Amino acid sequence: MTESTQPLVDAFKEKAALVAAQVSEAADLKEALHRVVQICEEKAPCELLAPEPGTKSGPLSENKLPTRAQRIIAAPGLSAEDFAVLEKACEAKGFLCIRGGLRNYLAGFDVGLAWADFAVAASGTCAVPTTDEEVRLATMICESSVLLLRKSAIKPDLASIAQRLREMQTTDNPEYTTFITGPSRTADIERVLAIGVHGPLELHVILLEG
Amino acid sequence: MHNAPKNLSSYHKALHESLENAFLRKALDKFAVDYRASRANIFKDVPERELIAQIAAAKDRSCKRMDELFQQFKKEAEKRGAKVHFAQTAAEANEIIARIAQENKVKKIIKSKSMTAEETLLNHRLEQDGLDVTETDLGEWIIQIRNEPPSHMVMPAIHLSRDEVAEDFSRATKEKHGNDIGKLVKVARRELRRKFIEADMGISGANFAIAETGTIAIVTNEGNGRLVSTLPKVHVALIGIDKLTPTLEEALTALLVLPRNATSQRLTSYVTWIGGATAVTGAEDGKKEVHFVFLDNGRSGLAKDPLFSQVLRCVRCGACANVCPVYRLVGGHKMGYIYIGAIGIILSYFFFGRDKARVLAQNCVGCGACSDICAGGIDLPRLICEIRARLNDEEGVSTEISLLSSVMKSRTLFHTLLKFAKFAQRPLTGGTPFIRHLPQMFSGEHGFKALPALAPASFRERWETIRPNVPNPQRRVALFAGCAQDFIYPEQLVAAVRLLAAHNVDVDFPLEQSCCGLPLEAMGQRAVAADLARQNAKAFDSVRYDAILTLCASCASHIRHAYPSILGTDSDAFRARSFSEKTTDFSSFVHDVLGLDAGHFVNKGQKVCYHASCHLCRGLGVRDAPRALIRASAEYVPAAEEELCCGFGGSYSVKFPEISAQLLDKKLEHYAAAGASRLVVDCPGCVMQLRGGATKKGMTLTVTHLAELLAENIK
Ligand code: SF4
Repeated sequence: MTESTQPLVDAFKEKAALVAAQVSEAADLKEALHRVVQICEEKAPCELLAPEPGTKSGPLSENKLPTRAQRIIAAPGLSAEDFAVLEKACEAKGFLCIRGGLRNYLAGFDVGLAWADFAVAASGTCAVPTTDEEVRLATMICESSVLLLRKSAIKPDLASIAQRLREMQTTDNPEYTTFITGPSRTADIERVLAIGVHGPLELHVILLEG
Repeated sequence: MHNAPKNLSSYHKALHESLENAFLRKALDKFAVDYRASRANIFKDVPERELIAQIAAAKDRSCKRMDELFQQFKKEAEKRGAKVHFAQTAAEANEIIARIAQENKVKKIIKSKSMTAEETLLNHRLEQDGLDVTETDLGEWIIQIRNEPPSHMVMPAIHLSRDEVAEDFSRATKEKHGNDIGKLVKVARRELRRKFIEADMGISGANFAIAETGTIAIVTNEGNGRLVSTLPKVHVALIGIDKLTPTLEEALTALLVLPRNATSQRLTSYVTWIGGATAVTGAEDGKKEVHFVFLDNGRSGLAKDPLFSQVLRCVRCGACANVCPVYRLVGGHKMGYIYIGAIGIILSYFFFGRDKARVLAQNCVGCGACSDICAGGIDLPRLICEIRARLNDEEGVSTEISLLSSVMKSRTLFHTLLKFAKFAQRPLTGGTPFIRHLPQMFSGEHGFKALPALAPASFRERWETIRPNVPNPQRRVALFAGCAQDFIYPEQLVAAVRLLAAHNVDVDFPLEQSCCGLPLEAMGQRAVAADLARQNAKAFDSVRYDAILTLCASCASHIRHAYPSILGTDSDAFRARSFSEKTTDFSSFVHDVLGLDAGHFVNKGQKVCYHASCHLCRGLGVRDAPRALIRASAEYVPAAEEELCCGFGGSYSVKFPEISAQLLDKKLEHYAAAGASRLVVDCPGCVMQLRGGATKKGMTLTVTHLAELLAENIK
């Protein structure tokens, strides 16, 4: 890591923590993928928010909803090679690891993994290219959203990412980008903060060198 | 389900209902205090004023070229497969969207929050076609279940308690739910996920529409905006043409303020940028239908209005409600029509017509708390006054107001009347110095505060006898008295004259001066207000003085801010400008110019609290000088919410005594808690309100003008 990235990394971590994002570092992608499996293993079983015929369900959740018996990690944005590594680690735990067909699991799945293209230190924000609908679903329908982010991709503020965002939005193709700052939240009832309305209940960001 | 008050008496009744709603009162009270603190905190890491000025300037530029931006947006968005529509009216927008639904054989629709869709009453129209429409923003869903309008633009259900929500959810899901908020949120998560899965069309609003990229941005926290725009095959975004912005940069700048102002966040959980129709895995043909429907509905007309075009700077952050002392008491259902808060009052006039705005436009105390924090730097109270003026022009005024206006036009008539009023009041005051006075002597009931009598001799009558003799003056000032001090509290001016003379300042008092005109302006009597401004500018030969000094914060702020524009096109505009520029408030002059500090006073250690008059702290941005002067001459005891409006607001306290009384109560509660023996103020109107309230309540608190404290302690 170069000296110049450290202040941005620190600022990003601080601001992300303020919005209940959990930031950690990994030496390499392999370690990061193992962290993903671990996150999946440690979380409570995924609630099935809608009927999903043919799916085996486990005990009722604390909200009295059926839960998924087999845990699922969705990682549509990974390269074939990286996916293979993750899939293998999942197999060892008995988790299902998927790259596509996420619409079959709209009742909810455990972990969604995606790459952030860049991040904004001033607000602890990750920018995720979500033009691919599968990647979008991976970050929306999961209970734990995990984002991978290269340290060098952390920029100081919104002004400094304008050009990059413009490039993403002016290709010849339709485009959909999501800025993510912490997990889904609401304060619509008595202004009491509640995490996890329609989106993820947790947000993890794993920082990678480079 | 949307209601606007029809007349003042039904409005008063509705206000009373809100004032008696204990939950609402407590919730909004807490919100007001929490919001101010969290907002201040979250703005620490950005240059607030600079950003607001940038947003205002950028919005002003964009709204001059909305047509061009629309064409550019359309071209760019259509390149990427989106369909772009333009609707002149609300009805047209609704028809376009209903047609899209029909063409796509839509049955079930999910929506994320859109104030624009509230504006067009879109749900209503879609339901006519038998469509099943579900709001998915938690707050919007709650009020949809209750069939109520939103009471806040950002937190639509802020008026409801967890118990009420639990009951509503129990009814809607036909199963019993407790009042645990976390659990209730999970009920919504489950219920609405099913709706998301079933829906065949999603409708959203948009916070920005970027012309250079043909992209819209949706700012949300819950994540429903993403689901609405992703899961169904069809996505429609309804967008006011004021959301168009030339480049990404303007949107990114506004994003530094919008979430901070709305919910005290650096950024919301999600900002979704949608540029065109991305492939959809759920549809057989893999094709997404994306429609961007732009709505004019009066916006392009507004853009051409030299004063009101600033309304289009609004980013719908809702903050003008958050800081409004009236909203805090009565809630959003009584403080707007569809759009809520100060901006709601204004938009009701432009989007929904005079009928909806007539009564609402009266309910602004003019404290300026909203314009102080507005993300677009909109001069909201001034625009509300202007709407009153337009309503008066369009509909005529009450006899009471026209009587007052004709009296005020002539200084001699006004001042003669006051003289007679002084005699007439004698039998009524029962020997105490309290009674109703002008300009309120022409109207209304007050029970909540003791009202002052007119002074036995006005300041102008006493002037020749107290005029100081300063042989070698260091400075020369002229006093602008304002009605309240001239006729009710001349002792405040006498104190100031004593202090000034003691510090080698020569004082003059031009007798041709009259009312500053603010009360008339507030009643929408523009022509008389301009007349008065003209008279005053003429009465003062401003080149002769170092400063024109006023002890009334309201007069000072009005002369400084409104005179140049009121008299802008007059032949003697120059005179008005120089009069306005020379006008200074008392504290700033004494502290900043004369440099009086602890060395100039005997400090007996009296415990003194301070009330920061709206027109001084926000109107003129004067905050430190008065407090420094208190510290120099007494022991300053800070109190809670010093900058909160006392509820006087000139004629406001006559028109809405029930609200004025509650505002006053809150202030007095804070001062009682602070435990000082004296309260000083920089404005006679606030003295009247606060002293009247303290007397009525039998408090031992002495309320005076700051000048009196200082004069008593001259070394
Ligand atoms: S008028 Fe200003 S404060 Fe009110 S909602 Fe609009 S931007 Fe926010």
